[in-house]
Amino acid sequence: MKSGWVPNVILRAASLLAPREHRAEWVREWQSELWYVPRRGSTRFCLGAFRDALWIRRERPRAAERSGMYLESPLHCLTFLSVLASAGLAMAAWLPAPRLAGMPAHFRLRDLPAACMAMALLSGLMLPALRMVMGPHHHAMPRPGKLRRGVFLALKLALVHPIILCGFLIQNRLAPVAPITNLIVTGAWIWALRWILLDQRQRCPVCLRLLTDSVRIGTASQTLFEWYGAESVCSRGHGLLHSAESSASYSSEPQWLRLDPSWDSLFVESAKERR
Amino acid sequence: MADGLRLSHTSAMILQAVGTGHLYGYTVIAVTGLPSGTVYPALRRLETDGLIRSHWEKQSAADAALRPPRKYYKLTRPGEAALDVSRQRYPLLAKLAPSEELEDA
Repeated sequence: MKSGWVPNVILRAASLLAPREHRAEWVREWQSELWYVPRRGSTRFCLGAFRDALWIRRERPRAAERSGMYLESPLHCLTFLSVLASAGLAMAAWLPAPRLAGMPAHFRLRDLPAACMAMALLSGLMLPALRMVMGPHHHAMPRPGKLRRGVFLALKLALVHPIILCGFLIQNRLAPVAPITNLIVTGAWIWALRWILLDQRQRCPVCLRLLTDSVRIGTASQTLFEWYGAESVCSRGHGLLHSAESSASYSSEPQWLRLDPSWDSLFVESAKERR
Repeated sequence: MADGLRLSHTSAMILQAVGTGHLYGYTVIAVTGLPSGTVYPALRRLETDGLIRSHWEKQSAADAALRPPRKYYKLTRPGEAALDVSRQRYPLLAKLAPSEELEDA
């Protein structure tokens, strides 16, 4: 049955939400189903594609897990961000500054810390809102590592701002008055802050390495009084993180389960295999 | 898998529809009255949980009928067991999707 152009446009738009690796199969399935839908209800039928695409995106392994090989260690993560920040600072010093009254034509190196500081202050305002949107994450953390975790978070925040500053300068250079590019860079800023929080949440609270080997536990279609979610493990054997997939009064926050030294032998072998 | 199954009502309805021969996403929508944005994710979830499995129809069969190939769903053994348990839990499920509406797979 031939459907109109509107349902096909909706499907194409929704397909952008589906992960790239599943997109072709996803579009094929929806288009084959659309063929059987009466024309009158086809638009409504296709609107459900957005939810389906979002579901697939949510269910696939997280990007951080896939990139964990490179950024698993906190040192690697900070080195990676430092390289990007240095490149960002170099570009920021080279690119023309925004045309504002009283500003020099180029950022001078001594202006950069002030610009980054101003951005950091704005980030400080955005972070609590982002944390609220991302949901609670106050699992009982071991006290000794709190300072280290705080320093790691602060360093990540400090290193991300030169990169975003560079983005703003490039945007200002390419399209100084286009509001859409402003929105894109602001969106990238929020995305970067979200990534920082997400990355922090996916790290072992003891050694700050990214938690790995995430496995699903339970079955999502059996939700009545059943816990289901994901369990990740620290590759050094410090503990396990249980994260519920759906929030309930008894499982709204992730649970950190500390492993005692009797588990060490298991992780020593695993660490050798990784090397 | 079959012991202690507690399917949500929506999942049970979809499982019942598939179990009674409504093997395609759109026919499940038509018989349950659920929106497409609920049915397709639920079908994927049931498949992930091993209660149903999906297959693409052969291209040659679809070409012969001058239509695109469809993805169809079938109950697995754990799915059948889960459906039995759900029918006891939700007796009205049996009224949904009577078996005489079976379609060719």
